[in-house]
Amino acid sequence: MKRLCPILLLFMAIIHFSSCEKDDICVEGDTPLLVIGFYDITDTTFKSVNNLRILSTDNDSILNSTTEYGFTDRSNSPDSISMPLRISETTTTFQFISGSSSDDDGNEIGNIDELQFNYTVESSFVSRACGFVASYIDLDIPREVTEEDWIRSINIIESNITASNRIHVQIFH
Amino acid sequence: MFRYFISLFFVLVAYMTWAQTEGGNDTIARKDSYGLRVGVDLSRQVLGALKDNYNGLELVGDFRLSDRWWLAVELGNEERTQEELLAETPLYKYTTSGSYVKLGGDYNTYTNWFGMRNQIHIGGRYAYSTFSSTVEGFRYFNSNRIFSPDELLIGSTEPRELSGLNASWLEFVVGMKAEVIKNIYIGITARLGHLVGEKDPDNFKNLWIPGFNKVTEGAKWGVGYNYTLSYFLPLYKKVKKKEVPEQE
Repeated sequence: MKRLCPILLLFMAIIHFSSCEKDDICVEGDTPLLVIGFYDITDTTFKSVNNLRILSTDNDSILNSTTEYGFTDRSNSPDSISMPLRISETTTTFQFISGSSSDDDGNEIGNIDELQFNYTVESSFVSRACGFVASYIDLDIPREVTEEDWIRSINIIESNITASNRIHVQIFH
Repeated sequence: MFRYFISLFFVLVAYMTWAQTEGGNDTIARKDSYGLRVGVDLSRQVLGALKDNYNGLELVGDFRLSDRWWLAVELGNEERTQEELLAETPLYKYTTSGSYVKLGGDYNTYTNWFGMRNQIHIGGRYAYSTFSSTVEGFRYFNSNRIFSPDELLIGSTEPRELSGLNASWLEFVVGMKAEVIKNIYIGITARLGHLVGEKDPDNFKNLWIPGFNKVTEGAKWGVGYNYTLSYFLPLYKKVKKKEVPEQE
């Protein structure tokens, strides 16, 4: 017994130092997307936008993914779509294009409305595997409506964006 | 990790019982030493020497109360820096530093041969730790990469210290101690802790607690161990009560 002990201790030490424990994956949270719902200006029910294109003027990228944003480029939009905001800045600008298509020279012929989203970025700790995510606080969309605009009115329901599971902004058209 | 200890203990207990059958009934009145045993955890010293991100010290002590019961205490101080990664990308880095005390009892389940003073013990502890966590820096976790295709954006590189944290837990201990030289013991224990109270920091969590180790998410379990080297200071002797010889 006495001679067994040191051997046993050494054995346990080997097991200990060779074991690893990393198995965490992040499922608990993510930096949220801004969720926008499209409504009819007259009867305030959900109303699809024809051939919607959303273009970021910050890096000229086009939102095009059913899984991430809820719609594909230049398709008729669903009731609501999701869009990312910049974490590194406190403002993000998108062109919302209704009836988007290109003419023979490749120029956009749809109705372009530009919206600027202003907010402040805060960090919040989610879990060991996810770490910190951003949330957007005090969302503001300064805007003046002109005759040509297809977006008639905007209503911010939720000015603090901490999750992507509900509509934050209503767009009436 | 813990199941290795458990299974090894079973193996060990099997050895012990096997050895036990060879012992006869001794009828000589024997005197047992009572006293204080003090020691240090070697694993924390070794880890501290091998790893840049860890420093720790644990002092252990136990006092023999009766034939089989020992009063046990552990005092420790640990500091550990950890970085959480997402694949290869660092998500955040934090340092936890603090002290702890564990107080409880051990029951020796092992019946020694005459003249031997080894132990296989089970026991419990109440433990309390005060510590602080420092978030050294973090990046925002964001699965949407349209604005930052190459990397996760840095949220902060300024250390943020969260002090005045504490936690308390109950610990189940199994272990063994073997006398290798007269009055010098080596020992090993494995511990399963369950948090009963904790003060969480603002906008962070207690992911690792000194003395408790990694806090599993959801369930509040922690697993620990130590390998001790200790010295038994005999203070007085007491005649062991005669045990009724077992009928075979």
